[in-house]
Amino acid sequence: MWERIGAILRKEFIQTLREPRLRFLLFMPPLIQLIIFGYTVTLDVDHARIAWMDKDRTPESRALLARFQGSGRFDVVALADNEDEVQSILDHSDAHAVISVLPGFARDLARGRTAEVQVLLDGTNSNTASLVSAYSAGVIQAFAGDVRPKQAKNRQTIRVEARGPGGAAGMAAAPITAQTRVWFNPDLRSRNYFVPGVAANIMLMITLMLTAQAIVREREIGTMEQLMVTPMRPIELILGKTLPFALVGLTNLALVTGAALLIFRVPFRGNFLLLLFCGALFMMTSLGAGLFLSTISHTQQQANMAAFFFNTPAFMLSGFTFPIRNMPQSVQYLTYLDPLRYFMEIIRGVFLKGVGVSVLWPQMASLAVYGVIILTLSALRFHKNLD
Amino acid sequence: MSYRRTRAILIKELRHILRDSRSLALALAMPAMMLLLYGYALSLDVDHIPVMVYDQDGTDASRNLVRQFQGSRFFEIRGFGGYGEIRRAIDRSKILIGIVIPRGFSGEVASGRGAAVQLLVDGTDSNTSAIAVGYAEGVVQAYSAEWRARGGMPPAAPAIDARARVWYNSSLQSRNYIVPGLIAVILMILAGQLTSLTIAREWEMGTMEQVLSTPLRPTEMVFGKMLAYFLVGLADSAVALVVGVSVFSVPFRGNVLLLALTTCLFLFGVMFWGIFVSAGAKTQAEAFQLGILTTFLPGFLMSGFVFAIDTMPKVIQVISLAVPARYFVTTLKALFLKGVGLHVLWPQLVFLAVFAGLVFLRAVSKLKRQKVA
Amino acid sequence: MNGFAVEIHDMVKTFGDFVAVDHVSLQVKTGEIFGFLGPNGAGKSTTIRMLCGLLIPTSGSASVVDIDVAKAPEQVRRNIGYMSQKFSLYDDLTVEQNIDFYSRMYGVPRERRAERKDYVLRMANLTERRDALTRELSGGWKQRLALGCAILHDPPVLFLDEPTSGVDPIARAAFWDLIRDLARTGHTVFVSTHYMDEAEYCHRLALMHRGKVIALGAPAELRRGLNHHSLLRLDTTAPLDTMRAIEGAPGVVEVAVFGSGLHVVVEEAERAMEEIRRRLGAKGIEIRRLEKILPSLEDVFVAMIEAEERKAA
Repeated sequence: MWERIGAILRKEFIQTLREPRLRFLLFMPPLIQLIIFGYTVTLDVDHARIAWMDKDRTPESRALLARFQGSGRFDVVALADNEDEVQSILDHSDAHAVISVLPGFARDLARGRTAEVQVLLDGTNSNTASLVSAYSAGVIQAFAGDVRPKQAKNRQTIRVEARGPGGAAGMAAAPITAQTRVWFNPDLRSRNYFVPGVAANIMLMITLMLTAQAIVREREIGTMEQLMVTPMRPIELILGKTLPFALVGLTNLALVTGAALLIFRVPFRGNFLLLLFCGALFMMTSLGAGLFLSTISHTQQQANMAAFFFNTPAFMLSGFTFPIRNMPQSVQYLTYLDPLRYFMEIIRGVFLKGVGVSVLWPQMASLAVYGVIILTLSALRFHKNLD
Repeated sequence: MSYRRTRAILIKELRHILRDSRSLALALAMPAMMLLLYGYALSLDVDHIPVMVYDQDGTDASRNLVRQFQGSRFFEIRGFGGYGEIRRAIDRSKILIGIVIPRGFSGEVASGRGAAVQLLVDGTDSNTSAIAVGYAEGVVQAYSAEWRARGGMPPAAPAIDARARVWYNSSLQSRNYIVPGLIAVILMILAGQLTSLTIAREWEMGTMEQVLSTPLRPTEMVFGKMLAYFLVGLADSAVALVVGVSVFSVPFRGNVLLLALTTCLFLFGVMFWGIFVSAGAKTQAEAFQLGILTTFLPGFLMSGFVFAIDTMPKVIQVISLAVPARYFVTTLKALFLKGVGLHVLWPQLVFLAVFAGLVFLRAVSKLKRQKVA
Repeated sequence: MNGFAVEIHDMVKTFGDFVAVDHVSLQVKTGEIFGFLGPNGAGKSTTIRMLCGLLIPTSGSASVVDIDVAKAPEQVRRNIGYMSQKFSLYDDLTVEQNIDFYSRMYGVPRERRAERKDYVLRMANLTERRDALTRELSGGWKQRLALGCAILHDPPVLFLDEPTSGVDPIARAAFWDLIRDLARTGHTVFVSTHYMDEAEYCHRLALMHRGKVIALGAPAELRRGLNHHSLLRLDTTAPLDTMRAIEGAPGVVEVAVFGSGLHVVVEEAERAMEEIRRRLGAKGIEIRRLEKILPSLEDVFVAMIEAEERKAA
């Protein structure tokens, strides 16, 4: 038995590694994909583009503008004079928001009345809009705090001792503040969240595609018929065919992890061996799925399509970009069928949270069960005949 | 270019398409299926944030605060427990925020020294976390204001009132921008696929050599093939748009004719692209992989579908200029949500037209070279 | 062993409504070269695939070296070599790598591998080209390599499914020399073909048509047989008019154009020749040549298949 598995392994390696082009295709696209994904997939708003409309035109309003410019989060890209220009700026998507300082801003501040600033947001991308809204409120509050230090307000992570407007019968007010501590990703960089997820998806894509192709190709060029008349057992063929791809997948995992650490400086807090082990568990499911697809396909073309139809929903529903928590209940149940879902949780847990088996065992167990089931299923479906 | 030969190609392709009724049904059902699944499933809205409460104080004041969180549609209290439980729940991604109300909370509030509530946040999913923290702070502030009011204290009016007004998508529903983007991405994949297989199939079956030996010109071939699949693409677009508007009730505020025009330009571009890819690949399998790689990834990543282009590095922004889905997504979002017209959108249309033209020329010249070779 | 290398009993294979193999029974003796003839789609490949355990018979049974193919396909596989219709070695491996791969797959004992490899390389005349990529070999060489890989484990029975299709005549002749060598060393060779000249090399033949075996026997027997009919060669000045004139005449079974003249199958030679002379004389058609000839295998098979077609209609 091992003799024959060895023979298939040797053959697969010779075939895959013979051509420089193929060697390149196995390891370069994952890295390229990681880099493209890593740079494109981000939900952070680092430099929100804003337009400024100053209807007050006082030193105070200009000070607020300077505050925005100095915050590092905003680029002031336009100055608007009237409502029509505001309309046009938002229509053309020239700015994410228009900040409009209303007349009497300085006067109200001086008299201790509430001064008004209007933030007009382009809500088209609701995510960007929420963030821009929160950031600009932050800048404005900080500015307000400086203008009236007596009434400083707490923001974000710092706890500020806050007092009431020291009046009314000398009675102190009782403001309650929120003290926020962010774990695992204190700067809230979305890249830290996405890059490990990309690695998971790349592994799925590569191994699924390769396995689905591998068996169908032999069937298409006719070599499968010749293999079937040898005393080889189905399990030998399956092991011999999938082990090289498992190796390719794990090598890619290591490569991509290295690149994530070096290029994107994503923190890695967990155990690398644990990650590799979970990668191997995950590989069982993706290789199993690939084999299963190859048993239902007759041509490489069909195998490709089947792999695509498996991979795309697996990717979309894995929680990679769109949190599973947000999905309708029925779709959430559906995601339990998605092996990528489990590995996504594992890889993020290991990278960012540094958690171990004690936390990740349910995901690991799910992958193991899933893998055994789908491998058995495809081994059963793989007959040594052409019927 | 001969009208007669182009029509001959068109008719032949239409016959292929109609004969293979299963593929045709699949091509027509696909956009609706994908849009339904993803449109329902994908959302970036942050609500029902799972939280755990550690109430060390256990007084009326602290319980009132907890009730505030319970009453908010943004939060869902998954349980009560100590630091250890919060830590474990965050490790297991069961909750996103742990709310700790310290001992002596009510006393400090009453004494006017000011009290702090601790929020322990899982920052892994930075985007959700940032928004969730904002909501949590909002709840705490509202509670604070209420407390003052009850104590007969004057409201701690912020010195500056930042009043946010949201245009176009006032409820900030992510579905309203995900669905138009999805339509664009789905059509990009589908339209590219439809044509990318057609020339590779002719190579694979050997009919290409036969066709190339006739006086047929590459221009006629590309145009005839594109037109046939264009009809399928149009039907797909109609299905996708109708589903988007009727099922997901995404507002449509723009001009229908403008939408039709943009869709046509976009389909031309992507379908020529499919033919171009196909002309380079000798097998359908190869054409499929190339097609997916060059439509799905750019369509998903560089179109502005979810990930805003202007936050990407400059190099990527420049690359994204060559992605037709980018212009289509921009136009769709503008037509759906903003309701703007040609005076705003003309650059997008020009880009789409230029893309279609350039790719058409490339596809033709590639086929010409093969005809000679 | 009862002396039969292959035994098929009442075997049927259907694909949906289509009956590919229709109650076939036959036996092949050990050491025999058994030829399997018939037009495309007659069911030859399906039969061979069932014997190799690649397809499961719908009903009936078959055994190879006394092992039932349905019950113990794995044991059968240790005793057979198979060459499929389509060339099916890895063309991105070298000649030697293909041989190494298959000798491990067939479980050739380690100590015998080198010897078997040498034998196959010599037999296929590929010793010089052992490091060549298989895709760079010409058709004849590929064919011999495929045969070599199929006999690495020295199986007693060989199934060759149209091994020489698409190979030039010289390579074909060389290939048949190999087959005859194998038979001489006690191997049973079950070979399908549609080249009539190759049929002459076989010890015995089966003719398949529409899933049925319609004739079975040694080439000489078949030629002699023709169901007790005789074959006449008839050359005239106007072949088409001649056909019209003698078709349906008493004693005339079949008229077919053959080269510049006609082949006429008749029930009894002397009586039919008389009748033909009489009819053509009446029409004023001049006879250049009319004689009884020994039928070629092709004549035999064409006549049989046409007879079958008439029966079916």
